Amino acid sequence: MGSSEQIDRVTDLRAWPGEFPVSHLYTMGIAGERFFRELKDNGRFLGSRCAACDHVYLPPSIFCPRCFAALDEWKEVGPQGTVRAVTTAHRGVDGTTLKTPETLALIQLDGADDLLTHRIKESEGLEIGARVAPVLKETPEREGSILDVRYFRAV
Amino acid sequence: MRKVAVVGAGLTRFMRRAQETGPELAWLAASQALESCGLGLKDVDSVAIGTAPDAFDGVHMKGEYLAPGAGGWGRPVTRPYAGGGTGVLVPIHAWFNVASGLFDVCLVVAEEKMSTCHPHPQGAFVTIFDNILERPLEPNLIWIFALEMQRYMDTYGITKEEIALVSVKNKRNGLDHPSTHVAEEITVKDVMESEVMVSPVNRLDVSPVSDGAAAIVLVSEDVARRISDNPVWIDGIGWNLDTAYWTNRDLAYPSYVERAARMAYKMAGITEPRKQINVVEPYDPFSYKELHHLEGLLLCDKGQAAKITADGVTQRNGDMPVSPSGGLLGVGNPIAAAGLMKVAEIFWQLRGEAGRRQVPGQPKVGLAQAWGDLMQVGTVVVMRVD
Repeated sequence: MGSSEQIDRVTDLRAWPGEFPVSHLYTMGIAGERFFRELKDNGRFLGSRCAACDHVYLPPSIFCPRCFAALDEWKEVGPQGTVRAVTTAHRGVDGTTLKTPETLALIQLDGADDLLTHRIKESEGLEIGARVAPVLKETPEREGSILDVRYFRAV
Repeated sequence: MRKVAVVGAGLTRFMRRAQETGPELAWLAASQALESCGLGLKDVDSVAIGTAPDAFDGVHMKGEYLAPGAGGWGRPVTRPYAGGGTGVLVPIHAWFNVASGLFDVCLVVAEEKMSTCHPHPQGAFVTIFDNILERPLEPNLIWIFALEMQRYMDTYGITKEEIALVSVKNKRNGLDHPSTHVAEEITVKDVMESEVMVSPVNRLDVSPVSDGAAAIVLVSEDVARRISDNPVWIDGIGWNLDTAYWTNRDLAYPSYVERAARMAYKMAGITEPRKQINVVEPYDPFSYKELHHLEGLLLCDKGQAAKITADGVTQRNGDMPVSPSGGLLGVGNPIAAAGLMKVAEIFWQLRGEAGRRQVPGQPKVGLAQAWGDLMQVGTVVVMRVD
C-alpha cells in the first residue's frame, strides 16, 4: 500500500507544473492534398482504387497497404452514403458534459470500401442502414478541410 | 541463432519540410527497399518500425500510424525505441526476428517527420530533461551537447578548429549523396564564424531538423543465398544504456558506446577493430560526436580522433573512411531514418554500390552506430560481405 493513497489533492505536494511546449501542423500528404482540394474546389469526394485488391480507399492513398502497389486510379465516391454505425456523445473532447449532445456516424460513401466518420444533424432516430447526404459549406467558405462538410443528414 | 543478411535498402530524400505524410514517406523507402532485392510485400513475414518521439509527428501511436506504409498491414509489427539510437536499434531488433528462426524476411523501416512539430522540435525534446531539477531552468537540448563537448575538449586538449574539420568533411561527402539537403563545401573558418547556438556549439557543428525515411530488408541465410549474389551479413550487434541522469557519468568518454561495441565485436569475432573494420558510419548529429564515438568504438585511442581526422585517415580515400555518406551533418537528420541511413550506407559500401560515395579498396567489414535518448544509449551493428 503506497503512502500516496492518503493524498487527496496532488496540489498539496511540491510539484513543478510542465507542459509540452509544442503544437503541430499536419500536412495532408500527396493523396490528402488531392482529396481536400477536390472537396474544396468542386465539393466532391475522391477515393483511390487498387485494381489488384479490388478496394477503393477513402480517404485515398497513393499506395495500397495490402499489396504496396502505387495507386493512381482516382474514383469519385458518394456524395451519398449508408450509415454503418451511429452514436450520440454526451461528453466532449475535454471530458466535460456537452450542452448539446452530438450525433456521430460511420458512413460508407457510395462506391467506397472504407468508412468516413462525421457528424449527423437534422436526422431524428437515425439507424444503421439509413441513407445520408453531406451538407457542404458554400464554395467561398470552404478551405480544404474535413469541416468543409458541415454534417451529414438523412435523405 | 541463424545467420542474418541485409539484401536490400531504400531511402527517400531528406528534406526540411516534406509534403508527404509519415506513412507516405515510409512507403517510398520500404517499397524501394523491397524492389531493390526483387521481393514483394507478399514475401514479408514481419515488420520492424523505428521512429523517435511521438511528439515530433504529433501522433501517439506512431508505430501503428506508420505501419500501413511500412508494410505492416496484417503482419506481426513491433517498434523498438531508444530515442536517437533507434535507427540502429531497429535493425538489431529485426535481427532477433530472423536469427531466432521465427521469420525469414523482416522489413525494417525508419521514419521521422520533424517539420510537423511547431514552433520547433526543441519543445518535444524538453521533456527528456529532469522535470523537477532541470526543466525549471528552461533547457535547450543543445545545452547538454555544449557541456559534454566542453568536457571532451578540456579532458583531451582538443580545439574547436580540430572539431570543425568533421563538419567540413561530412558536408563535403554529402555533396555526393542524392538524399542530402544540407551538403556544402565549407571551411573551418565558416564553421567558426557561423552563428553561436550554445557555446561552443556553432550552427555548422549541428545537423539539421529533417523529414525522411529509410528501409532495409533482413533475411535468413536460406533466402539470402536464393535471392542475392552478394548478401551483406550482420555479423555483430551490440547495444548498451548508461545512467539516465546525464550528470552522473563520464561525459568525456562514451563508455556505453564502448560496451555496445565490445558486445558486437565479440559476436563478430573482431579482435583488432582498427585493422579489421574497413568503413565506419558513426552517429554524427554534432561534429564532436563523430570523434567521441570513434573513440568509444575503440577505433582510435582516447582523445586521438581529432588527430586522425586532421591527418586525413577518416576521409573517403583515407585508411579508415568515416561517414562516407556525409552522415547526419552532410545528408540530414530525420532522427531514426538517419540512423538507418547509416546502416544502408554500409550495405551499399560493402556491395560496391555507393556510386560517387564509394570508398576505394573493396571494403569487406563495416560498422554503423547510433546514439541517443538523453545521450546515454549506444547501438552498433557490424556488417560483412563474403
